Amino acid sequence: MYDYDVIVIGAGPGGYPAAIRSAQLGKKTAIIEKEAFGGTCLNWGCIPTKTLIASAERYQQALHADEFGVSAAKVTFDYSLMIKRKDEIVKKLSGGIQMLLKSNGVEMINGSARFEGPDRISVVQADGTFRWLRGASIIIAAGSEAAMPGFLPKHKLVMDSRAFLDLKELPKNLLVLGGGVIGCEFACMAAALECKVTIVEMLDDILVVLDRDVRRVLRKKMEELGIQILTGAPLTEIKVANGKVTGMYKEQELCGDALLISIGRTPNTAALELGRAGVKTEKNGTIPVNQQCRTNVASIFAVGDLITGSIQLAHAATQQGVVAAEAIAGMKSSVEKLCPSCIFTMPEVGLAGLSEAQAKEQGRAVRSAKFSFAALGKAMAAGATDGFVKWIADPQSGQLLGAQAVGSHATELIAEAALAIRNELTIAEIGNTIHSHPTMAEAWMEAAHAYHGQCIHILKR
Amino acid sequence: MAQAVIFPKLGQTMEEGAIVKWLAKEGDTVKKGDILFEIETDKANLEVENFFEGVLLKIYIREGITVPVDTVVGYIGAKGEKVPDAPPPPEKSAAQPAAQPIATPTPAVAAPQPLTVAPAATTSTPPLPRPAAAPSKPAKLIISPRARALAKESCIDPAPVKGSGPGGRIVEKDLRAYMESSGYDHLRITPAAKRLAAANQINILTVRGSGDGGRIMTEDIERAIKRKPVAMSRMRQVIANRLVESKQNIPHFYVSVKADITELMSYRLLLKERGTSYSVNDFILEAVILSLEEFPVVNSTTDGKSVSWRGDVDLGMAVSVANGLLVPVIRAAQTLTMAELKAQTKALALKARDGKLTPDEMVGSSFTVSNMGMLGVDQFSAIINPGEAGILAVASAQEVPAIVNNEIKIRTIMAMTLSVDHRIVDGAVAAQFINAIKAKLEELELWKSLT
Repeated sequence: MYDYDVIVIGAGPGGYPAAIRSAQLGKKTAIIEKEAFGGTCLNWGCIPTKTLIASAERYQQALHADEFGVSAAKVTFDYSLMIKRKDEIVKKLSGGIQMLLKSNGVEMINGSARFEGPDRISVVQADGTFRWLRGASIIIAAGSEAAMPGFLPKHKLVMDSRAFLDLKELPKNLLVLGGGVIGCEFACMAAALECKVTIVEMLDDILVVLDRDVRRVLRKKMEELGIQILTGAPLTEIKVANGKVTGMYKEQELCGDALLISIGRTPNTAALELGRAGVKTEKNGTIPVNQQCRTNVASIFAVGDLITGSIQLAHAATQQGVVAAEAIAGMKSSVEKLCPSCIFTMPEVGLAGLSEAQAKEQGRAVRSAKFSFAALGKAMAAGATDGFVKWIADPQSGQLLGAQAVGSHATELIAEAALAIRNELTIAEIGNTIHSHPTMAEAWMEAAHAYHGQCIHILKR
Repeated sequence: MAQAVIFPKLGQTMEEGAIVKWLAKEGDTVKKGDILFEIETDKANLEVENFFEGVLLKIYIREGITVPVDTVVGYIGAKGEKVPDAPPPPEKSAAQPAAQPIATPTPAVAAPQPLTVAPAATTSTPPLPRPAAAPSKPAKLIISPRARALAKESCIDPAPVKGSGPGGRIVEKDLRAYMESSGYDHLRITPAAKRLAAANQINILTVRGSGDGGRIMTEDIERAIKRKPVAMSRMRQVIANRLVESKQNIPHFYVSVKADITELMSYRLLLKERGTSYSVNDFILEAVILSLEEFPVVNSTTDGKSVSWRGDVDLGMAVSVANGLLVPVIRAAQTLTMAELKAQTKALALKARDGKLTPDEMVGSSFTVSNMGMLGVDQFSAIINPGEAGILAVASAQEVPAIVNNEIKIRTIMAMTLSVDHRIVDGAVAAQFINAIKAKLEELELWKSLT
């Protein structure tokens, strides 16, 4: 009666793991993708940006190699070659995903899906033909796209992050609207490649999810990179004329060669016709789900950016996709509560669990302890002394509630913190764990010692 | 000279209460008219105004302690003025029999102990258990200090352990054997969860783990902490006692009818269009009032030996509030016009929801109506308030197919169940009474004359 046990809509970081896990669990599975396998993450998000950021960092290292006793005569870069490198990596990874799906026996369908009923989907395939599918269970993993509100002029110089990644040439002068994760990452990458960048953020600071002390380090370094950061007021009167984008910040007129819009993402739920399946959505288009990613319709699941309250991170979507597949197979899996976040700015930021501010808002007693990279041998050796790591703990039990790291390799360092927090280690146990010397990761152990006032490597006051 | 701040008597039957929150602390300058503290009585939380200018010199009665009315709870006076270390005993008023045992704190104790007072015999409120009664301590365990320390460190309760020492004394060896036999060594628990369990004296042998492979997580310990008994609020305790008293002493008898209020609903809309809006509840209350006048026995009370007619219809109206239920009373309701009834009902309901009812507004009802019409119920039976002969439980009005003149029509039907004290109200009378209410609700001419 059903064509498939499981149909997955969308082959991004939420959808393709869901399809593979379903197939592993013996389900006859199909996956529908309207554009490129790998979704936003792989094609227009995480991977391409990190590729370009790696190029930008390499350029900066070459520029400042003399500090390390290395001289490079004339350091230049060719942005179009960087884009080419990015495209090759994306192509390789996307091909890899299709091979993974194929090897697991998942049927891949190229086309746009929409619901015709709670177990029926119609697909307009890439070749223009129609196809009807019936699935016993359906996983919605259609993702999100950049929010582009109506007040913005419709012009190619006013672009979202996806369009920006396809530019063959970097603008000389870039305006960024929105100082969130995406805006700040693009701003750093462009600024490191000699572009003059101005960020306009309506809130009082950029990246307000971060604790103030983390923001202070990041903002200072971003400003040193040449980024102008304007906060506390919106960018208004945005116009495009003579190949320039202009706008007003308070009384000041800003002008750039392009305007990047990074003010949030909207769920790709409208085209799915969820109403025909009886799936409830919130006003903002997101789909409410339970701990197993089940929607109000028992046989329909939703994962990733389009669920209500989503943190919109690829790795969160992946875990949800696996949970949904397992739930369909009758397993008692549920979504992990702890999800670390990484911000690939210069310097990087990693965070896991509660921030100090969030813990205090919850009315908890909190104690935090920091260790600065400036006091760490490896950081000095690597010329990466900016930043610190910080533990946030419950003073009664010593339980680790959260951690934030800012500085070189912070996005790698946060993995240790996530493991410790998830498994409810206490701060004393971090202090007791031997950390290899000399490494950046030693900072976690030192911060744990600092919590107990037992630091070996801090001057006694 | 310093002025004593007295715990006020805010209702005729009010005998005691507790300060739930002081809004000023010792040393604060306070003005006349400031809210000094909030009190909790059996029925409501109320704010108490200050009558004196000066400095709050002393607080005797801490938050959460139940005291009799007229207790001196603190002093206000000039800065630095001397006041007694302990409060003087409350003045004995005529309302309190001299024999009433009032435990006054001994003057030597700086922090007053909870005062206790037995309720007067005449009160309609049953004796209250003390709130916040700590779980009673088990009989003293004979255990060696080493074993006790091991039990504490291991987060287990040593009570079930069989002692092998002299006189059944539990020694370390016994505890270890118990831990082995009870599967303690196979328990998996996160370090933070174990510390939390130790700090809160949670026996981890009784905790089910929700983590990977049944590992006990902090969340599981937090759930175990929440399972510890918590004292009920005074309001909840009063509700509990009155319900038990009623169900144990009053033989309840129930009778149900369904009223067709289709016409009444249309008439209500018509009135609304003309600018007067009555709630369905207003009509029900009025129908009950009129019927109580016709059936005095339902508006009576009995102690099992005699029966007395209440005279006035003092109509209680059950109002559900945030954490309980209040029954404000519409006095001599039979004397009110529909418009007056509507105005009083609305005012009392608003006061109940805002916690502004005074205790006097909540005692002495002779019959009660409990309306769950807004809560989507088909039918329910209510428990009679002690001191009354009956209570009417009104369920939700629903559109249902009904037979009218041999045809099936959509009608608005509302179920009502009457509970009566069967000692004084016979089944047939109860049936007649509830049918009188039903007939009134279905008789449009009546409402046309009343509105």
